[in-house]
Amino acid sequence: MLSVTGLRANVGDKEILRGLDLRIGPGEVHAIMGPNGSGKSTLAHVLSGREGYAVTGGTASFEGRDLLALEPEERAQLGLFLAFQYPVELPGVNNTYFLKSALNSIRKARGEDELDAVSFMRLIKEKLKVLHLDDSLLKRAVNAGFSGGEKKRNEIFQMALLEPKLAILDETDSGLDIDALRVVSEGVNALRSPERSMIVVTHYQRLLDYIEPDFVHVLYKGRIIRSGGKELALELEQHGYGWITDEGAAA
Amino acid sequence: MSGELATWLGAATPNGSPAWLEAWRTSARERATALGVPGSKQEAWRYTNPRRLFEQAFDEGAAVLAAEALAPLLVEGLEADRVVLVNGRYAPEHGRLGALPEGVRIDSLARLLAEDPEAVRPHLGALADDPAALFPALNAAGGADGLVVLLAPGARLERPLELLHVTTGERPTLAQPRHLIVLGEGAEARLVERYVGAEPSIAHATNAVLEIDLAAEARLDHERIQHDSAESFHLSTLYLHQQARSRYQGLNIGLGGRWARTDINTRFAGPGAECVLHGLYLSGDGQLIDYHLDVDHAVPDCTSVELFKGILYGQGRAVFDGRVFVAQDAQRTDAAMSNRNLMLSERAEIDTKPQLEINADDVKCSHGTTVGQIDPQMLFYLRARGIPEASARRMLCLGFAEEIIGRLGDEALRAEIAALVGDRLEAAPLD
Repeated sequence: MLSVTGLRANVGDKEILRGLDLRIGPGEVHAIMGPNGSGKSTLAHVLSGREGYAVTGGTASFEGRDLLALEPEERAQLGLFLAFQYPVELPGVNNTYFLKSALNSIRKARGEDELDAVSFMRLIKEKLKVLHLDDSLLKRAVNAGFSGGEKKRNEIFQMALLEPKLAILDETDSGLDIDALRVVSEGVNALRSPERSMIVVTHYQRLLDYIEPDFVHVLYKGRIIRSGGKELALELEQHGYGWITDEGAAA
Repeated sequence: MSGELATWLGAATPNGSPAWLEAWRTSARERATALGVPGSKQEAWRYTNPRRLFEQAFDEGAAVLAAEALAPLLVEGLEADRVVLVNGRYAPEHGRLGALPEGVRIDSLARLLAEDPEAVRPHLGALADDPAALFPALNAAGGADGLVVLLAPGARLERPLELLHVTTGERPTLAQPRHLIVLGEGAEARLVERYVGAEPSIAHATNAVLEIDLAAEARLDHERIQHDSAESFHLSTLYLHQQARSRYQGLNIGLGGRWARTDINTRFAGPGAECVLHGLYLSGDGQLIDYHLDVDHAVPDCTSVELFKGILYGQGRAVFDGRVFVAQDAQRTDAAMSNRNLMLSERAEIDTKPQLEINADDVKCSHGTTVGQIDPQMLFYLRARGIPEASARRMLCLGFAEEIIGRLGDEALRAEIAALVGDRLEAAPLD
């Protein structure tokens, strides 16, 4: 599904990703952990096509396409979804209109018919329930004046609606209290399927109690220095990052 | 000089007009002739040179519009009574007025001047009193007709009143309507004023004057939509006078015209009054949209809000020249003026100058200006959801405009304006 080889990327003059390798198969959930500044968010942004990053080496293919050559909207249309660490407020942009535009842009790109208003509303109400979100959300502007928890739930709600093939959750747990974390995680787990893969980027092990990964990778100084099963996350929790970063730095 | 102004000054007043009307027109004619065509050295004309307007020949134009030509100019679903003016003249055959309640008079200025001049005498020219203003003087001298709305104390318009002004003709025409809106104590109305052109490629000109007088506790909601054809010249000068505890809510949408200049002069005459002026303008290639606001807090305890937002693209230009004046004894004035601009092109130009002139010491006044581009983070968020860049840009522009569009009084108008803005942005060059 996703194959990243030797990926290098700069922000300005600074090299953040330094030869990163990652392979993700259908239905797999991969956690990417690492200390602050290790390049976790940069990886999420480079894969989703955000401006401001210069890819200086390596490749990334998604569904057989050269991901790095595509515009952000083409990546989304192909089935890539980024749940933002800091969802952007869009004052004046109505949520329903936004969701409908997004869904229909993706459907159109896939050669599917655009949904009419009635089918769209039926679909959207069904997805709202999964995330315990209120109908009133639809009348509001996108993320404008939302609490931190509402913004994160809105991200997962959009993911439920757009049904991506690969979702990248960028520090979805940051800023969430324990109840919100549970709701968001339940939403994510409800979307797990043999066809849908996920990259869960997180600083803490806590989220992985709720969203159980198949693989855990430790990112440090722009490279994956250790990969393992979910037990790796527990070891990190016990010993801290220092336990392997010292090794990684030595290697 | 007077040669350039001849068409604008109009023909002599018809025989048999009352002497006061004759005198008023003559004085306006003399004033306009003395003022002459302004140059850009004058402060009020710093940003615009009106000379090209006077280099063009205009016909007076006939007040004729075929019914099938009117139909496409209407807003679908707008539930309102309607009065239509064609080239500045009242066209009763296109109007749609229900039975008017007691104390409500809606009529043609020309007809009232001929048949019941005393009804309009106290109001005609009563507020348009700026001796240095050329266009209102030209309107007084050369204008012949307009809309008169008189509401007796306590009277209320049950339905909104749409004033639709159409410029039309195979050759450029000049329209100089004057509207008098007078609300007695506690009277209430909603007026939707729309300016449209029937032919997109002909440079018609409109020079409208409005005099709005609100007695104590009167309330007027006033939406003004300037959607003249792309080549046209649009000038409009509004004079608003507010007595104690009256409320005026004005919403100005400026879309059309090659050069569109709107002057809004408001004056508080009694305490506790409120004046809200919102605006949205869109200016693209070859266009100049020009707003001048003069808000006079002459008395204490009044509130005013001025918020104008603009979207500029291509080589579009706009001017926002706003002034709030607070008189020495206008204590407890609350005034907030701001102008925000979204620039879609490096070639677009905005001249913005919000000013406060405060002579009282116990006031709450603010002013501010922003000029910015589309936020790349917002744009990325939309694109990351699969929305193509051009659509995403349009959505963000409409989101920026929504703060103003959302205040329009009904869904039909909101949909109409959002669609007009969306269509314009769709056709706009991306650079």
